[in-house]
Amino acid sequence: MKDRHEDENLHWIPVLIALVILLPFIIQGLTYSYKYYLFVLNIAGIYIILTVGLDLLSGYTGLISLGHAAFLAIGAYTSAILVDQVGIPFFLSMLLSPLIAGLFGLVIGFPALRITGMYLGLTTMGFGFIVKRLIIALREWTHGAGGLDVSYPVIFGYTIRTDWDNYYLIYFFAVLAVIAGRRIGKSKIGRAFMAIRDSEQAAEASSVNLAKYKMLAFFISGLFAGFAGVLFAHTNHFISTDHFDMLLSIYFIIMVLVGGVSSIYGAVLGTLFIVLLDNLFVPLLEDWIHVFFNTETGDIQSLIFGLVMFLFIIFQPMGLYGMWLKMRIYWKLFPFNPRKRFT
Amino acid sequence: MGDLFTGIGQEIISGIALGCIYALIALGFTLIYKATEVVNFAQGELMMVGAYVNFFFITTFISSTGAPTLWLFIVALAGSIFFALVFGWLLDLIINRPMKDEPIFSIIMATISLSIILRALVAIIAGPMSLIPVSPFGEGVVSFGGIFISILDIFIIGSAVILVVLFYYFFNKTRWGVAMQATSEDPIAAQLMGIPVNRVNSLVWIFSALVATISGILLAPKLSLLDTTMGFLGLKAFPAAVLGGFGSIAGAIAGGVIMGVIETISMGTLSFHFEWIKEINDIIVWIVLIAVLMIKPDGLFGVEKVKKV
Repeated sequence: MKDRHEDENLHWIPVLIALVILLPFIIQGLTYSYKYYLFVLNIAGIYIILTVGLDLLSGYTGLISLGHAAFLAIGAYTSAILVDQVGIPFFLSMLLSPLIAGLFGLVIGFPALRITGMYLGLTTMGFGFIVKRLIIALREWTHGAGGLDVSYPVIFGYTIRTDWDNYYLIYFFAVLAVIAGRRIGKSKIGRAFMAIRDSEQAAEASSVNLAKYKMLAFFISGLFAGFAGVLFAHTNHFISTDHFDMLLSIYFIIMVLVGGVSSIYGAVLGTLFIVLLDNLFVPLLEDWIHVFFNTETGDIQSLIFGLVMFLFIIFQPMGLYGMWLKMRIYWKLFPFNPRKRFT
Repeated sequence: MGDLFTGIGQEIISGIALGCIYALIALGFTLIYKATEVVNFAQGELMMVGAYVNFFFITTFISSTGAPTLWLFIVALAGSIFFALVFGWLLDLIINRPMKDEPIFSIIMATISLSIILRALVAIIAGPMSLIPVSPFGEGVVSFGGIFISILDIFIIGSAVILVVLFYYFFNKTRWGVAMQATSEDPIAAQLMGIPVNRVNSLVWIFSALVATISGILLAPKLSLLDTTMGFLGLKAFPAAVLGGFGSIAGAIAGGVIMGVIETISMGTLSFHFEWIKEINDIIVWIVLIAVLMIKPDGLFGVEKVKKV
């Protein structure tokens, strides 16, 4: 018998941590352009923190969010304003800014108590547009559409400047986010989330407080996204409203879906897959297609993302993590596989 | 004071014209939603594709025959309508059939990915430059007691009215229309009564592609620039449909027109008199959406739904 709090997949955590620590050194040994790979990995790390939170909201609780880039933007702008204009130390801002993003999550969670499905998708999409517009309107603090320069993060007197430092800063929190996400998913809260996803009426009948847990899902998700925003602002050194487009919110959902909904490791896998595809494969393809068509940058990227998501939804709705689970079952049963079950 | 009233009257008229476009887009996805429960987020992109195809036909004909004549536009319209028929049928095969009985989350994401794919494909094929649409309506303006209406706007309002009347007739008076109503009511029971549900569904998608194409053809000259961002306009039709009550055809039309009027008035008179309205011009539809969902989620003409376990 397994204990109620035991989680077999947590045994992977030490391996994961060791891998994360060693990865830059491995990449450095393999190629000369390791700095670019580190940069790409940093983006992936920030997005991992966000998609873990998004998975808790959309995958576990089944509440669609088509405006998650707005939470990223709130976290990023709040931290930039708090650190550079108010003068709060970076360490404190790391605690405060996600809280503010989480509070915005509560604001958008409030209408979510009454509406679900497509309506919620529209509301969150509208929230994304509204936040973007609001950032431009508050131009005294945010410099409007021109963008905002952000200072380097300083932790205990140590200024973090290089991609190398950023990597360890980001991945320290990314690993924390993954562990926290898993623990939340396996805890009472996570089970309540899943009950709400499967049937709101049944969950309510089993004395799950719908209002409380839906608000909580939005709050937690906003917290994660706000944290990702803080790291994004201070490692990118420049933020503008163009960074937080509506399409980015949809790409986040694509990451979660491609990885596999309602599994935290799936979100991590999906994020890595999409970010690596975006930064390593798409430029190559773009160069090749430029021979035949005169395209703008971004078109090929969205074409590939759209196709990837479409194919995954139709042929592999469980995502990459689901593929891995199927493979694992296949090898467990290896010589005695029932025919045509795992095609 | 008189100035203010003619100004507002002017804005209401052009708001109705814009609202008719919203109403047509909303009509497109309401048809699909009623029949198949699929929310088609790619409706704006269908409109954009229609506008592009029409533009393509017109430019090829002009380059082969010389000057643009009225006949040329009619032939191009027929060509685009034929394209819409094929396109809608294809979409039914690609999106609707495989997505049957999937959770709503997957369906929404599938149509969103379709919209991304369509936008990217059109951008790649047509090139990155914005195109200038050619229209048979010209720049003509008609005046009614101080209020000016462009001929294009009259055409937009007129064709919206004609389409709505046609759809009303079709839905309530013809065999296929009644079959569609039955399918949207309960697909399984309809199937048992001998209605070919699959064929009805593909007819619905064909209709909605048709409506989208026509609205695209009408909208392109109004925007006076044709590029892929036109698809985003389709997103604004969703708040309009929610305002009217999602899933009801009358609601889609009323919501579309009201939303168009709200948008033009806030862009015109209100922005002129109140400085801060300028900041929220392009998000006013979303603010209205959130307000509607918080106050009356079923919209103006919607029917309250009962949740079932």
